Amino acid sequence: MRPILLSGHERALTQVKYNADGDLIFSTAKDQQICVWYAHNGERLGTYHGHQGAIWTVDVEPTSTLIASGSADNTIKLWDLKSGKCLKTWEFPTAVKRVEFNEDGTKLLGVTEKRMGHLGTIVVLDIKVDVDAEQSDEKAMTIVCDESKATVAGWSYLSKYIIAGHEDGSVSQYDAKTGDQLVNYNIHELGQPITDLQWAPDRSYFITASKDKTAKLITARDLEVLKTYTADTPMNSATITVKKDFVILGGGQAAMDVTRTSARQGKFEARFYHKIFEEEVGRVRGHFGPLNTVAADPTGKSYCSGGEDGYVRVHHFDKGYFDFMYEVERERMNRLNQEEQQRQQKEQKENKK
Amino acid sequence: EDAERISSADVAVVEHRRRLLEEWYAWRAQVEEEIAEEREALGLPDVAQLLKEKTEGLAGNGEEQIIE
Repeated sequence: MRPILLSGHERALTQVKYNADGDLIFSTAKDQQICVWYAHNGERLGTYHGHQGAIWTVDVEPTSTLIASGSADNTIKLWDLKSGKCLKTWEFPTAVKRVEFNEDGTKLLGVTEKRMGHLGTIVVLDIKVDVDAEQSDEKAMTIVCDESKATVAGWSYLSKYIIAGHEDGSVSQYDAKTGDQLVNYNIHELGQPITDLQWAPDRSYFITASKDKTAKLITARDLEVLKTYTADTPMNSATITVKKDFVILGGGQAAMDVTRTSARQGKFEARFYHKIFEEEVGRVRGHFGPLNTVAADPTGKSYCSGGEDGYVRVHHFDKGYFDFMYEVERERMNRLNQEEQQRQQKEQKENKK
Repeated sequence: EDAERISSADVAVVEHRRRLLEEWYAWRAQVEEEIAEEREALGLPDVAQLLKEKTEGLAGNGEEQIIE
């Protein structure tokens, strides 16, 4: 795998995100600027300036017209992806830790931080996918998390549910129309925060990462845990690949002693697991600190990771990656190919008649 | 004897994986069908499909340019 190093950030990365076409990568860090890069060569296309604090989160609207960001300056900002112009700023009483567009980009959720006198919330904003439109000031909905604050949240398929991961390790399902909490289950180890939540392409299931050293694959409809991936270090991020049935986990313990950094070199790895068999299949080294965020290219060609070390690394998958198969996977592929051939032969025969 | 034991353990592992794989794809087919029905009932467009077509359209254009 050919890695590309994206250097431009001066502080720890907080989130990396591909657009739907997989040609652009957006990154946020504690250094107050959002960067956008070409995924294929790592060239920086531009930056988005305006936040006055660390930026915790970014998301790209599905048609790549708008992006949204959330910051320690207590705002969510909406940007014109192409021009870099800030289109709208919404203010909140506390920092915004996560933003996510729904499947058609007409709604945006934001997770706000808990602080003395303020409970953590999930806010919903109505979005007009048009750079010239006037965006509404009003919040469409506010969900108050009075049990345990939400650390991450996202929209399910059909924008039917809002799913949140909490500081106490639990996962909640809310009705996305009314904001009512439907269920809350203790999914990760009690008291171990959920650090990431990322969707499968159709948003019918998602993966959570946790400080409890695991990642879990969970259904949106029933919050049923399908799979568990076990690591030996706290996990900060997890993502689901397409084209291949893998998941990628990123994490690592923060270095306690700076002078030991060189000895720890290479210890920070992206871990690949087989999504269905739950077995670890490989690791990719490179970062000099914990991986804070990982993202899989929606077209399946690459993945990227953002580290505490201030770097974004993009890895384009090679032939070996695509060729790698378990015996039973090859068996299944051969069977499907055979069935497809038989179907085509049958079709040709019928056409001749 | 050892070899036999190992090979029967291998067979069990392979059988287990085969079952996991079948269960997964059966579940996926079921979920995809259910969501498609629900989407149709709600009259919502298939966003993923629209995006896929858009992406494929872009890829198509790229190829044409190469031919030129």
